[in-house]
Amino acid sequence: MPFVEDPAQLSKSRLKSDLVAHHVALPPAASKKELYVELHLKHIDQSNCADFSSDDEDPVHDVVGEDPENATVLDPSALTDKDLKDLLLKHGVKAGPIVASTRAVYEKKLRKLLQSGGKEELNEAENAVLYSDSDEEEEGDENKEEQEEPEGEQEQTAEALKLNQQRCNKPPQEPENDILKEIFPDTNATPTGIYATPRRPIKGAAQRPIQYAYPKTPVSPTTLERREVERRLVPIYIQILVFFTVVYVLYVISVIVEDGSSVMPLLESLNQWSDSEEGSPALDETQDTHSASGEL
Amino acid sequence: MSSTSQKHKDFVSEPMGDKPVTALSGIGDTLAKRLEEQGFDKASVVLGQFLLLRKDMELFTDWLKDTAGANSRQAGSCALCLKEWCDAFL
Repeated sequence: MPFVEDPAQLSKSRLKSDLVAHHVALPPAASKKELYVELHLKHIDQSNCADFSSDDEDPVHDVVGEDPENATVLDPSALTDKDLKDLLLKHGVKAGPIVASTRAVYEKKLRKLLQSGGKEELNEAENAVLYSDSDEEEEGDENKEEQEEPEGEQEQTAEALKLNQQRCNKPPQEPENDILKEIFPDTNATPTGIYATPRRPIKGAAQRPIQYAYPKTPVSPTTLERREVERRLVPIYIQILVFFTVVYVLYVISVIVEDGSSVMPLLESLNQWSDSEEGSPALDETQDTHSASGEL
Repeated sequence: MSSTSQKHKDFVSEPMGDKPVTALSGIGDTLAKRLEEQGFDKASVVLGQFLLLRKDMELFTDWLKDTAGANSRQAGSCALCLKEWCDAFL
């Protein structure tokens, strides 16, 4: 986050690659540098500066902040095949290969999904993502506007640039959590500090160091596995208890075996006792049968 | 589509080979002509489209409506017979 450059000082190609890295649709190849700077400001610095608060008079920001709803009603035909597929997947449709003959079908499907499900499904997390993910679709319209009057916007660009710089330079030493809250002001704080937001659209590219403010480093799979195992293990005090029980039993057995003389009579007496008990009822039975046969 | 048509049974009963699009249930002469104009000259080519759409009958129905101007009944019938053909022969 502290690493923010002045986009106006970057080269055109650098701006271009930044935009690509942030999934922003590029303006036509012949566009002026100002256009790139503007796009850069709007999409990249905004996500870096992370200030979406509504008390912002900046006209550029208002464009985005004003109508996040419109961003969902995007134009699927402007998407690349891959983005189309990703979006469909996000709406729970597993798209097949998107080729010339199937593309129209999938576009229509996505349009339908966006119209029907878009408004209901929007939750806070998705709202937050709107700023990054669907900006690329807004681009088409904005490009046209900007091309029509690039001169007039130049001043605004300079203004926006200053504002952005101020904002970016303002809180260099703040703790990570506050920054996160600035980014997602509406997000509820979760105990784990992990928010359920869909994929992060920003990738590192063009030798740009990425500085995310992660609340926690993600847990590696091995750690997760270990935790899973630990959850199923018997608590340690029960393990100790069982250990001592086994030791005691073994000790008793060894003592008994050592003076076997005392054990043998005991065992024999047990045997005799069980024999006598089994023997007597058997005798009774035979007597009964004898008597029964005698009566007959 | 409570009962399947004779055309449907005929199509599902055997491999499609080189049958024309008219062999598909729900595809009459008009629809066949429109499909052929767009390069779908054989039933197997239509099957290819069906497979590209992951055998999704809903998507295929939409596609057929868009491309050939089929109505829901025609598109549904065609999708069903392709689906059953796939179940039998793929």
